[in-house]
Amino acid sequence: MRLTEIEDRLLDILSKVLLLEKHEISDELKRKDFEPWDSMAHFIIVSELENEFEIFFEDEEVVDIWSVGDLKALLRKKLSP
Amino acid sequence: MSRDDERISNILAPARENPSYLNLWSAYKKIEALGIKVSKNDTNAVRIAVIGSATLEPLAACLDIKTRIVGFNVKTFVGGFNTYRQEILDKNSNLYKLSPDVIVLSIDAWSILDKLFIASFIRMNEKERKNIQKEVIAGICSLVDTLESSTSALILVNNFIIPSFTPFGIVDNKQKLGFLQFFGELNSSLAQRFQEKSRSFVVDLDSIASDFGKSRVINWNTWYRGSVPFSEQFTPILVDEYLRYILALRGKTKKCIVLDLDNTLWGGIIGEDGLEGIKLGNTAPGIEYVEFQKTLLSLYNRGIILAICSKNNYDDVVKVFREHPFQILKEEHFAALRINWQNKVVNLEELAAEINIGLDSMVFLDDNPVERAQVSQVHPEVLVVDMPKNPRLYRDMLENLKVFDVLSLTKEDLTRGEMYAGKRKRSELEKSATSIEDFLRTLELKVTANEVNDFDAPRVVQLIGKTNQFNLTTKRYTDAEVNNFRQSKEAAVYSMAVKDRFGDEGIVGVAIVRKQTSDWLIDSFLMSCRVIGRSAETAMLAKIVADARKSKAQRVLGEYIPTNKNPPAADFYKRHGFVMHTPSDDNVITWILNLADQTVEVPEWIELIEE
Repeated sequence: MRLTEIEDRLLDILSKVLLLEKHEISDELKRKDFEPWDSMAHFIIVSELENEFEIFFEDEEVVDIWSVGDLKALLRKKLSP
Repeated sequence: MSRDDERISNILAPARENPSYLNLWSAYKKIEALGIKVSKNDTNAVRIAVIGSATLEPLAACLDIKTRIVGFNVKTFVGGFNTYRQEILDKNSNLYKLSPDVIVLSIDAWSILDKLFIASFIRMNEKERKNIQKEVIAGICSLVDTLESSTSALILVNNFIIPSFTPFGIVDNKQKLGFLQFFGELNSSLAQRFQEKSRSFVVDLDSIASDFGKSRVINWNTWYRGSVPFSEQFTPILVDEYLRYILALRGKTKKCIVLDLDNTLWGGIIGEDGLEGIKLGNTAPGIEYVEFQKTLLSLYNRGIILAICSKNNYDDVVKVFREHPFQILKEEHFAALRINWQNKVVNLEELAAEINIGLDSMVFLDDNPVERAQVSQVHPEVLVVDMPKNPRLYRDMLENLKVFDVLSLTKEDLTRGEMYAGKRKRSELEKSATSIEDFLRTLELKVTANEVNDFDAPRVVQLIGKTNQFNLTTKRYTDAEVNNFRQSKEAAVYSMAVKDRFGDEGIVGVAIVRKQTSDWLIDSFLMSCRVIGRSAETAMLAKIVADARKSKAQRVLGEYIPTNKNPPAADFYKRHGFVMHTPSDDNVITWILNLADQTVEVPEWIELIEE
């Protein structure tokens, strides 16, 4: 899977759950700074990514995601062959 | 459309297009962020509470948005994780502050059973297992009773998903009360306990889950991570089931199926292929059409109105109904027919007017996509079903429509089809008859007039209470008062039943007579407007007059008390040779029939039955 495609699908999910336009989402967007990214939103993002990419996250990985940048890095790691 | 409505409508667009879990959730959060209040007086609002033993925000969100998509304003309350008992028992809880219209109670069996239940079950004896069942059912029923007494809501309770795994393996059903049977019995006793309740329903989660595939009902990641009981794929499916109750509650369900004929009710084209050429039979080819028709007949028997809208020659079609050995649906099953070459949009409008229902209560089934597109373009309120190309899937399509729900089935539902078909045939006959007497003669009317028996007395009281138009005095009597008349030697209560060759109308007329030595006074005389125009009233009057004569009365007196609604009955006594008593005041007009020189005859087209 090409990196841009992964990012595109990630942004699609993030924009729907965090109620942002795709261009408003930067790697620096952080959970603790952005109110709509509450625990339920985080939960939905994680499960949607699991379904979308047919992967699963460890509990430790889930709590360690603090920003969009973290998410991208984790996805890259999980999806690399 | 107000600005808020417009914003909501824009937010709903993606979910309307693709009602996926993610889109439904996203719409829910967006609308929540708008902070729009639902007014107390909004009659189009549905207030929904979702409570239970797990994390239910996703289920509530999907239900909220799907209820909006079908056209309601929604306010949703989601209960906390496993706090449903407190919410139900505390009369000041947010659950009750919402004044919900609908409450969904979703309790996972495992949340009420002992933590080691699955392991200890094996070692329990039958009695211990039965005791646990009783506790579980009693617990749920007592909560539901509290909900029923503290709200006016419709209460939807999920039953239990019967597990697929049993530690007993293949000998589970060799046990006295096996593990799977344990759950099966929980579900049947729940259903049984709810049978008499009119506002509480058991939602058959187990069979919805089976239909969907039990292995896909739970997403184990979200279950262990966050106690979400249903998977992302299953949640919207389950919501559709709740929606059936909401639509039935608000009367937004379908009542009538309008059917095309060629390649819909049978395979091929009757005008070209002929009676022997169309596909319709108990084996292939054509069995799929017979099976489709059987399902239609089952819906008809349940109270769904059937109608035909087909581009055909009437005579070709009638031949199939009358002569084809495998045709299931006959002319008598259809409330109205449009078999012509006219535009189907116009036909549908005419059918709605003739049957007297809204276009929004209609489902249109036609194999031709062009006809379907025309209808849905002009009348988007008609449910135009995207028929499968493969006729072997017709039956499955119909069985999965799930748009005909009612919250309770009445006797009227079960005989509705016959009543409509009878009405249609009578009006066809009326059109073709040369005179009204001619028409009445062909009806083969049978009127039974008698003093009412115990069995029919409740129906008589019902008619006294609700008949307005053909009601001479509009006196309302209670059950007890009617009973007194029946017991008294100085009074008689008559009931009248009407039937003709097209159907049995049952008890449709009532008269109450007060007997004095020389005068019989007709205190009440009334008849359902369903049978006006068939002279049945004359038959009942003739019966009363004959009885009066037999008991040596000299006069029969009748009263007419005018109301806004009873002009149809104004000339009743005059028509039958009664003479107006003078002076009569405006409020009560008395009419007199002198038995010495006058009488009332049963019309020659009516057979009067006295038992």
